[in-house]
Amino acid sequence: MYFNNLEQLMLMGGHGPYVWSAFAVTIAALVWLVLAPIINHRALLKDVARDLQREQARQASTRSQPDISEESI
Amino acid sequence: MKVFSNWQWFHRLGSPRWFYQTTGRWLPWLSVATLLVLIIGLVWGLAYAPADAKQGNSFRIIYIHVPASFLALAGYYIMAIAGAVGLIWRMKLSFMVMKAAAPIGAVLTFIALFTGAVWGKPTWGTYWVWDARITSMLILLFLYAGVMSLQYAYHSVDAASKAGAILALVGTVNIPIIYKSVDWWYTLHQPATIKLTSAPSMHPDMFQPLLVMILGFYLFYALVLILNTRSEILRRERKTGWVRELAQSKSGFDARAGD
Repeated sequence: MYFNNLEQLMLMGGHGPYVWSAFAVTIAALVWLVLAPIINHRALLKDVARDLQREQARQASTRSQPDISEESI
Repeated sequence: MKVFSNWQWFHRLGSPRWFYQTTGRWLPWLSVATLLVLIIGLVWGLAYAPADAKQGNSFRIIYIHVPASFLALAGYYIMAIAGAVGLIWRMKLSFMVMKAAAPIGAVLTFIALFTGAVWGKPTWGTYWVWDARITSMLILLFLYAGVMSLQYAYHSVDAASKAGAILALVGTVNIPIIYKSVDWWYTLHQPATIKLTSAPSMHPDMFQPLLVMILGFYLFYALVLILNTRSEILRRERKTGWVRELAQSKSGFDARAGD
């Protein structure tokens, strides 16, 4: 390692705040870039699955509707 | 018949479903490679590279500033070319890639500007100057933002894609200006350290980690572009059979159990 110890690595000869804030903001931005499409992708798949389920439920209910009406009469 | 078979690869390339399935197989490898290269580059650049004789340790910011700037520019080409291909061949997948590239480019341009400002304070004594390079990079950020906002400005997906592509193509005028700004207007930003035509004006001990970081950022760009494009494919093809099947097989368990 270029630095003698961890403290010097953090201080960076007085440039620590600049270097570390630049790297922290960059890493946060990169992590966000990766996570955003993954979260989006998952939400979309769930959404499509929910639509499908709703469609199936509606089909099932329309098929059984005549029975219900007969019973209620 | 022969002509048809020759063009088959082109049609397959334009098929969102094919793109989705093929890139799905690459993703695990690409993610691992990206993470490894970036971690090696970060540790090397932050802790092992020697400090600069004049700038001290603040120079380490170039390990993110330079790769982010590179990709901000390269990403603009990718976005503009994808837009052009979409306009010329009416390839929908190409427009999806264009839309996917815009936010990545915007974030990378922001990183380039932010890290440049933070580096400028201890080195130049100021966070910001209206230097030619910095101003043209700010214009790049606005161009990316313009393409992004056009995607949501129209009801019709087709009209939004075409408007975005035209703005992206017009904006390419800015790219050579950014490259040449440091030579044309010799103000504050230093000329390029890395040139294809000559050896880098940098010690190998400092240069090698920079190369690793540039490679890491290229891998990262490819990864995020693929991820964004896949999301966009799902959004636009959500009514198709293959997406429905995929959704059911992926969350078949959840769908049965109900919310």
